[in-house]
Order: sequence, then C-alpha cells, then structure tokens
Amino acid sequence: MMRFLGLIVISFLILGCQGEIKNENSTVVEENGTDVTPSDSITEEETAPIIDDKNESDPKYDHMLGFYVGDFEPDLGDERYDKNFYLDDGYMWNRNNKINISLNIINDSIVKGHSVVAGNNRPFVGTFKKTAENTYTVEAKEPGDDKYDGTFTFEVKKGKIDGEWTAFKKIDIRKRKYSLSKKPYKYDPSIQLKYAQSFANWNKVKSEKVIVIDESDGEIVQWFEKEYATTTDIIYEMNASERFLTKKDIENLKRADLQIIRNTIYARHGYSYKNRIYRIFFDAQDWYIPVHTDIKKELTDIEKKNIQLLLRYEKNADEYYDYFGRG
Amino acid sequence: MNQFLLLLDKFIRVLFWGMISYFTYLIFLITIQYFPIDFDTAFLRIKQDEIILKHYQIAFFTHVYTSIFVLILGLFQISNWFRKKFTKWHKLMGKFYIGLILLAASPSGLLIGYYANGGWISKIGFMLLALFWFYFTFQAYLFTRKRDFVRHRKFMYRSFALTLSAITLRLLKVGVVEIWGLPPMDITRIIAWAGWLVNLILVEILFFIEKSKLKKLKSLV
Repeated sequence: MMRFLGLIVISFLILGCQGEIKNENSTVVEENGTDVTPSDSITEEETAPIIDDKNESDPKYDHMLGFYVGDFEPDLGDERYDKNFYLDDGYMWNRNNKINISLNIINDSIVKGHSVVAGNNRPFVGTFKKTAENTYTVEAKEPGDDKYDGTFTFEVKKGKIDGEWTAFKKIDIRKRKYSLSKKPYKYDPSIQLKYAQSFANWNKVKSEKVIVIDESDGEIVQWFEKEYATTTDIIYEMNASERFLTKKDIENLKRADLQIIRNTIYARHGYSYKNRIYRIFFDAQDWYIPVHTDIKKELTDIEKKNIQLLLRYEKNADEYYDYFGRG
Repeated sequence: MNQFLLLLDKFIRVLFWGMISYFTYLIFLITIQYFPIDFDTAFLRIKQDEIILKHYQIAFFTHVYTSIFVLILGLFQISNWFRKKFTKWHKLMGKFYIGLILLAASPSGLLIGYYANGGWISKIGFMLLALFWFYFTFQAYLFTRKRDFVRHRKFMYRSFALTLSAITLRLLKVGVVEIWGLPPMDITRIIAWAGWLVNLILVEILFFIEKSKLKKLKSLV
C-alpha cells in the first residue's frame, strides 16, 4: 500500500506542471522590429529599408514628395458590415488601418515610393500623369511577392491623395480606398497619448469568445462575457521616452498599462504594428504615423533601458499576477 | 444527529488534509523554480535591485530551500495519528522543524521582509511574521523541554499557522485579484498582513472553542 502511494506521489511530482502556479502560456508581444535584446545578433531578416535615391527625382516635384497619411478603408460595398469586429461595450473595429504612402521619387513619367501599413513596408513603382492643373494621376504596382501586394491608383492634388488599392491575390479584403493628407514626421520624445480610443486587449479575455448572429439583421457579433485587460489614466501621464523610469514608477502598474507605456515608445518612432490590438489603439492617435517596420536602430538609450524594465514587469505580471505563484 | 456530526467531522478532516497536501505540492512547484540557483527567475525577476546584494542572495535561497522542508515536516508533526504511532519520529522531526525555523527560515525571512515590495506597510507585515514565527516556535521548544505538552501543542499550532501563511497568502492573493483586480503592490500590502493574521486568528478561535468545551465538560462532572 505504501509503495503504491509512493508511486503515485512520485509520478505526481514528475508529471506535475508549473501551470498550476504560473501562466505557462504567457505571451508578451514583442515584435521583431522593436527587439532590444543586447547580445542578439540579427534575429530575422527584415525587409530591407527602402532607400530611393532622391537625385533621381525632378526638383520641380519636390513639394509633392513626403508622407501621406490616413485611413486605409475596406471598400466592400454591401459586404462591409460582415467584416467588422464588434465587442460589447461599444468597441468596434471596421478593419481600417492607418496607412502612410510615401512618395520618394517623381520625375516626368515615373513615380517611386513605398507604403507602410499594418507592419508591412512595401515599395511601389508606377506611372505619373498630369491630368489637370495641380492634379496628377498615379498608377503604381507593388512587387507582387508578398501576399498583400497590389495596385495603387490615386490622384495627387494639393497635399492630398485620393484613391483605391486592389490586391493581386485573393485575400479577405481585396479592395481598399483612402483619402490621405500630407504630414511631416519628426521623432518627438515628449509626445504623449491623447484620449482617443479606450484600450481593450481583445486577446486577454477571461472567458471564451462567443460568436452570436443577431437574427434581426444578420449581423455577426462577437461577445465577450467578461472584462478585458484595460488601462488606467497613467498611460496619459507616464512618458518612457524622456527619462529613465525606476522600479518605483512602474512596480504598481497592471499589465495593460505597462504594455501601452512600452508600446507608446515604439509609436513615437512611427513603428507600424503587426499586432492588431496595438495597431487599432495607436491608429486612433492623430500624431501617430506608421513610418518604419524596424526601429531597432532608432531607439534611444533611455528608451532601450525603459523597454527592458517594462518588459521585466510585464512578463512577471503576465505569468504570475492571477496565479498561485508569486512573481 | 450524533452520527451526522461525526460524518461532518470526518469530512472536514479529509478536506483539510486533502487541501493542505495539494497546496504544499504547489509550494513545492514554486520552490523548484529556484533550482538550480538563478538570479533572474520568477520572483527574483522583479527583485533585481536586491538580488545583487550578497546577504539578500544568501537569505533568499536559505529561505526558499529550508521553508519547503519546514512546511512538509509540519504536516506530519500536527497529525495526531502520526504523533501517537511514531512518537520517536515525532521527536526527531520536531527537532528539525524547530532547528530549521529558528536557525534558517525565520532569520532569513526577517531579512527578506526588510526588502519586501510594497513599501513600509508590507515590510512591517512580513517582518512581524518572521518574528512571531520565531517566538512561537521557540516557546514551543521551551515548553517541550519543560514537558508541558499542553502549552507545547498550543505554541506549535501557532507556529504552524504561520508556516501555513506560505499557502494562505498566495491563496489570498488569487482571491483579491479575482474579486478586486487590484494593482500588484496593493495586493502585496494586503497579503503581508492578512496572509498570516487570518491563520493566527483561526487558531485562537480553535483554542477558544476547545476551552469552552472543556469548561462544559468540567461543569458536567
């Protein structure tokens, strides 16, 4: 009998997993383009940054070069509402992403540039035609070796771009439209978040996601029974780009606050998020422009230190906050 | 009616031992996170300012590696069945229980408490826990030397109540998170006190009930 009990105990100890004392599926989102691990050599081949030789450009079009920023909206006609994401409490995402179309080179017949959207930085080359006074039409193609490549057709007129985009491949949203304004980008460590959109981490929900189809108009609604990770007002006050944060500053912050304070550093550098949750949140900030998909070299020493400190507490909160073990 | 009470008593006992064994197992899982020694794991990840101090390193690992044995030993020591059946073992294991607390687990706990997260509120809470733990265990030791086993038992119950704070403060933490979702340091401040005070109060209530039962019996005689 005792031997049997002993066997049970031993197998218990061996099979026993740490899942009972900590969150073993802890995931702290840290995108490749923002990695600050010091000893790390090149982790993954990033898409080469687009460097277009400005000398190719005709100086008479210089005033048109630069970043054009705005919403990259699905153009779906009646299908539109089926593609929306809804949460209760009024959170809704209509699949808009903020896009930055950068015109880098313009000469008499050719336009070269790139677009940054949803963590994708893609070059394009196209034709350039004057159609009216101060109005030019561009038809440009992306290389085609990416799933999300397509054709841009737009009109450039007095610091504005209006147009459409059609994907080459059969992807979920094949057509998008946009109406962008020219915006300068400059890194400014003092920029702070403004009240724009509440942050809700859709993935950090305690209960299961339930998809309900509303009978009356066939709307697909995703319900979340319980609370999501939400932030507090500290995210509007704390700046992790201007000064070294201390343990005291952040030790009493909850997970969502730590996440947003860290990600605001990236947003100031114009980092374009692959992660949907951060993308939706920062797209709502009027100062935010997606400029880079890799900001490793842009981060200042203060920021690198702060990112490491914040990550330390974030990982700890993610693993231990609501578990038996004390992180 | 009497049978029902007996059954209830048995049920409570089984539940108590079942739960206490399970949570001791969880504490064991927590302990092996720190094996082999690593200064950047689990709790130590947010103790980076402290873990560079040599005396904190010694105190922390002493506490972690000895407390698990104190907890497991204590489980056997409070069992009536074990004490009656294996009296020799009870004496021997008791020496280890007392020695580990007085010489290692409590002093190291005091030092860790001094560096506790959550400011002076939690520092005082954890340091008092260490001091009371030492005091109760030492008193229990003295009474067993004087062969006063009634008082020995009382102080050992108190000592073990504080030993169990390893479990109860973590359970309390989960409860507070579930109900109020407070920020982490606020939780630390709460459990630094409630994590052991609740146990101590429960033990005193138990003594009070025993005393009143005894009075009743005496009056009957």
